[in-house]
Amino acid sequence: MTPLLAIAAASLRRVLRDRTALFFILVLPVVLMVIVGAVASGGQDFRIGVVERDTSAAAGALVKELADTPGLDVSRYRDAASLEISVARSDLDAGVVIPAGFGSAIRTGKPVVLQLMAEQANSTQQAAALRVRSVVASEGARVQAALFASRYGGSYAENEARARSLQIRTAAVGVVPETVKTTAATLPAGYEYSAPTELVLFVFLTAVASGATIVETRRLGMFERMSSAPVAPGTIILGSALTYVSIALVQSIILVAVGSLVFGVSWGDPLGAGALLLLWSLVGGSAGMVAGTLFRTPEQASAIGPVVGIALAMLGGCMWPLSIVSPTMREIGHVTPQAWAVDAWTALLARHATLTGIGGELGVLALFATLFFALSTIRLRASVSGSPFRRHASTRAVRP
Amino acid sequence: MLQVGRQESSGYVLECEGLAKSFGDRRAVEGVGFRIAPGEIYGLLGPNGAGKTTTMKMICGLLRPDRGSITIAGRQAIGNIDVRGLVGYVPQDVALYPDLSARENLQFIGRLYRLDRRTLAERVAEALALTELTERAGDRLDAYSGGMRRRLNIAAGLLNHPRLLILDEPTVGVDPQSRHAILERVQAFGRDGLAVVYTTHYMEEAERVCDRVGIIDHGRLIAEGTRRELVAELGEHDSIELEASGNLDRLAEVCRSVPGVSTAAAADHSVQIVTEDGRSILPAVLEAADRSGCAVTSVDVTEPDLEAVFLHLTGTALRE
Ligand SMILES: Nc1ncnc2c1ncn2[C@@H]1O[C@H](COP(=O)(O)OP(=O)(O)OP(=O)(O)O)[C@@H](O)[C@H]1O
Ligand SMILES: [Mg+2]
Repeated sequence: MTPLLAIAAASLRRVLRDRTALFFILVLPVVLMVIVGAVASGGQDFRIGVVERDTSAAAGALVKELADTPGLDVSRYRDAASLEISVARSDLDAGVVIPAGFGSAIRTGKPVVLQLMAEQANSTQQAAALRVRSVVASEGARVQAALFASRYGGSYAENEARARSLQIRTAAVGVVPETVKTTAATLPAGYEYSAPTELVLFVFLTAVASGATIVETRRLGMFERMSSAPVAPGTIILGSALTYVSIALVQSIILVAVGSLVFGVSWGDPLGAGALLLLWSLVGGSAGMVAGTLFRTPEQASAIGPVVGIALAMLGGCMWPLSIVSPTMREIGHVTPQAWAVDAWTALLARHATLTGIGGELGVLALFATLFFALSTIRLRASVSGSPFRRHASTRAVRP
Repeated sequence: MLQVGRQESSGYVLECEGLAKSFGDRRAVEGVGFRIAPGEIYGLLGPNGAGKTTTMKMICGLLRPDRGSITIAGRQAIGNIDVRGLVGYVPQDVALYPDLSARENLQFIGRLYRLDRRTLAERVAEALALTELTERAGDRLDAYSGGMRRRLNIAAGLLNHPRLLILDEPTVGVDPQSRHAILERVQAFGRDGLAVVYTTHYMEEAERVCDRVGIIDHGRLIAEGTRRELVAELGEHDSIELEASGNLDRLAEVCRSVPGVSTAAAADHSVQIVTEDGRSILPAVLEAADRSGCAVTSVDVTEPDLEAVFLHLTGTALRE
């Protein structure tokens, strides 16, 4: 076993033996994710207002479908203006306007525009809009199936009924393009938003808090011990960081698994998401090393580290989307690695970007990790070679 | 600097010359130099803050000297990572993972020296046997006593079979029995041909285990030689130890004014006096003690030892 692996293995063994650390690393994030998930997706029904400007059967079917969807509470409105006011006041979570001629347009296979109202900065409304969109999409799938079938015989109405009975629930086919007041600069609302930002927040937080262990290792004189052997400072840093990077990766994988299995979160392009998870683990691990070489006492590291982590998360858009803050704050936010990670997730999830699409963000994250590693190596050298980070507890003279 | 019986033959394991190190404007070490031959145990004796640990760390490569040179087994050592493989370092404060077992700690340290699997297993077993910890090898260190940890700390410095062993106050906080065992071991290391640097502020230890002793104070090596040579340097002198209670600094001051007393200094519960003829000035000293208002509880006139040498050279007691 090389010194690098020996250092990584020893610190991993120590973490695995520390029950409290394991709780914070593995259990707490999952518990919080479940709680946040339950709050974001459960609870009250979304209140949806509908203006029906078309009296066709198709329009009626759509409204019925919306009303039958669990979690949606549909009420009818007379005009778009009052609907809009209610949405703006948050009396409603989303508004839908079915235009005149909806039924005939569908019957003839012409595109039709549904108007969907939801405040972009309001995550509840965005979540409600998302639900409406999914209902519209499955209704659209049925319409398309019916249209397709009518080419081969039978009336539209017969085929429509057949399609409905088959319960075709394919993904958004999109014969019904809807206008939504969103620019896709934010993550999709609801749980899709909270899961990736939570991951960004937690992985970083845990890694920075693990800086306390590094401080402890330093104060135990173990870094001096390692340096008195023929081992280079860079090897010591990389070996210690390897542990924390692996922990961050394991944590990410657990959060991703819980997110997709329990809450059906989609994490976008697998290659892009994988690269992003890896880079974020490197950023977290190296930031932990910076904390570990910067602070004097483990208490300092575990008290200040998480506060800094949460502050960075706020600035970087983990708590609320950066699209709702002022342009200045958005720029300041991009001083944090968090902002770049959230940007990358937004691109992956809201705009369905692939690995190449988030290349820029990944590059910036790689830069952060490199910077953190360099900084901690310099700090470690200084801490080993004495001032001002000397070990304390110089033994006093005691007469034997 | 007082140089007694300087060894001139070549083949030293360690040669350092003119070592100096400052921390900010505090000069921790200033112009320290000595040489150690294979099988020799060299004691570095000095009070707290004298610069012993700083000197040891420079030799181990943990501190870069501001000035001076270090040669280990004929190889230039400063900034040379490979040379560290020849050195075994036993730090002053125990440096081991408390949440790992003794065996895990030793395996970890052995791997830092790139020992292969078989050698590692052998050396770990050897180190455990040496410290008589084989039976407790699987226990976590936080279940060990302080003395056991110290013993393991020493064993850890031997895993790489060093040619130069650096022991920085290895017996602090160890009970007399374990101390005895440790000192025996150190003497055995010498017989095995290891070159050993042994730092301590216990004069008795330096006298007992070290072939040669360097006396260090305020970062300077002020005398060096065998015990006999150093004591002979004092000439015909006696050492008086007055155990007393009261203002000992005042007592020392009064004693210094007694004719025939060369130096006197307060130690923790006593006043140490170096004089040319202990017996004849004793009445005058006791009378002086009376005048200073201190109650003398015991008087001990002895042959001078390293402590007296230190007192003579620096005017202060080794134990403050
Ligand atoms: N990293 C450091 N930063 C600042 N000052 C230091 C540092 N290391 C040592 N010193 C100072 O250098 C001097 C020598 O310290 P050193 O630890 O070498 O003494 P020592 O002889 O080993 O003492 P002790 O018997 O207490 O272990 C002291 O004054 C100490 O305060
Ligand atoms: Mg010391």
